[in-house]
Amino acid sequence: MLKLRGAGKIYSTNNGKIKALENINLTVARGEFLSLVGPSGCGKTTILNIIAGLEKVSSGKVYKEGKEITGAGPDRIVMFQEPALFPWLRVIENVEYGLKIAGVSKKERRERAMHYLKMVHLARFAYHFIHELSGGMRQRVALSRALAMDSDILLMDEPFAALDSQTRSILHTELQQIWCATKKTIIFVTHNVEEAVLLADRVVVMAADPGRIKKEYRINLARPRAPEHAGVIRIVNQIMKELKEEVEKVARAEYDSGWSLQKTTFLLSPDSNVGGNI
Amino acid sequence: MWEVIFRTGIWPDFLFPSPLGVFQNVLEGFQDRSFIIAIGASMKRILLGYSISVVLGLSLGLLIVASKYLDEVLSPLLLGFQTLPSICWLPLAILWFGIGEDSIIFVVAVGSTFSIAMATLGGVKNVPPIYMRVARTMGAKGIKAYTTVIIPAAFPTIITGMKQGWSFAWRALMAGELLSPKDGLGYILTLGRDLHDMNQVVGVMIIIIIIGLVIDKFIFGKVEYSIRQRWGLNRA
Repeated sequence: MLKLRGAGKIYSTNNGKIKALENINLTVARGEFLSLVGPSGCGKTTILNIIAGLEKVSSGKVYKEGKEITGAGPDRIVMFQEPALFPWLRVIENVEYGLKIAGVSKKERRERAMHYLKMVHLARFAYHFIHELSGGMRQRVALSRALAMDSDILLMDEPFAALDSQTRSILHTELQQIWCATKKTIIFVTHNVEEAVLLADRVVVMAADPGRIKKEYRINLARPRAPEHAGVIRIVNQIMKELKEEVEKVARAEYDSGWSLQKTTFLLSPDSNVGGNI
Repeated sequence: MWEVIFRTGIWPDFLFPSPLGVFQNVLEGFQDRSFIIAIGASMKRILLGYSISVVLGLSLGLLIVASKYLDEVLSPLLLGFQTLPSICWLPLAILWFGIGEDSIIFVVAVGSTFSIAMATLGGVKNVPPIYMRVARTMGAKGIKAYTTVIIPAAFPTIITGMKQGWSFAWRALMAGELLSPKDGLGYILTLGRDLHDMNQVVGVMIIIIIIGLVIDKFIFGKVEYSIRQRWGLNRA
């Protein structure tokens, strides 16, 4: 069980103070798959970093199993947007890294690393160097490195954002299966609503400036889910509507005050022939 | 071409030696073992001095980078020392250790320590922060984070610094042996000058170049290549 109570974060920059997060209250149950979505700059990643212990809260408290979180630790593994694998180690040595730090014997950690590499279907590349792998393969190695630690909480910060859509959908399926098999608590940050609905039990929509929780959606759909399922599409549209307002607000702040999004979702152009040749 | 210029006789042979003469001189030097003894003496000094400087340079660099205070105070000093040609340490070394072995080794060590320290400093500072974040979430702290992440990540830069340090050490050694001669390659070079034996002077110069090239190519070149291969930097 993970609890954020009134968590706030203020960054001091040369141009004054920026309120990144304000009064975040969030409880994540054990074994839950939670997605955080929101416009850029709403503090999704900051929440993740705070839970990971990589950043400290400016106000409020964060608890894991009733104990306050004070620093980073191997019980809360983070998977970053970039694979962040070590280029001086081979694939399997990268997967073993956390176990080596934990002092697991060489034979056992090799076995465990192999097991998790098989889970992401990369056992064949165990002794390759990182630069010999494609982007999707690297991110899978990063996933198996995170899984190998067997932490009960897995924090994922837009892990599939930089991948092409085919690879991403393969990894969505893999991640759903892995989650079902391991029953870890996963907190998944993304700006892709479809991805969030596809994967999570609960989607938390955030608002920006200051970063706060706007709305929560519980996703009660059967797994495995696919993007073309009617239920998925319905919820995605609901959340999109909620988000649009927020995205527009951020866009206005980041561009200039004259910015406005198109009112209709259907663009009519003079040379369109919708239904003309039925 | 060299032989042709020599044959025209523009310069007398004590100013411009013939390649054959040089070759013969080098051969004789190896036959009577005087060159081998000299190379041995020089190599012993440089290996000793260079090892000292690697240990000192690495620890100095790592020590400085570990504390912000030391970094601010010592980094400019380090840069200053690096620009000081190592031969300028010789008078000081002679006063401290006397003419001979110790002062040459000291000059060699000083010559390369600072460039190795600077490279270590720069390498560690340029380690991508994401590696440290990974290490922290995986539970690596303090010394363990240093040995498993920071040093390997900085290693390509450190190796470049060590290579540069080697060439500084090699120069410092020759300068030291020229000015404070006892034996070694620098000594037979001065001996050649004193005897007006141009063949010997040029012969020793060629030997020095060859040794420098061989070590650069076969030791540092190999290590650097294998690191670049591992990191995937050879594919551009």
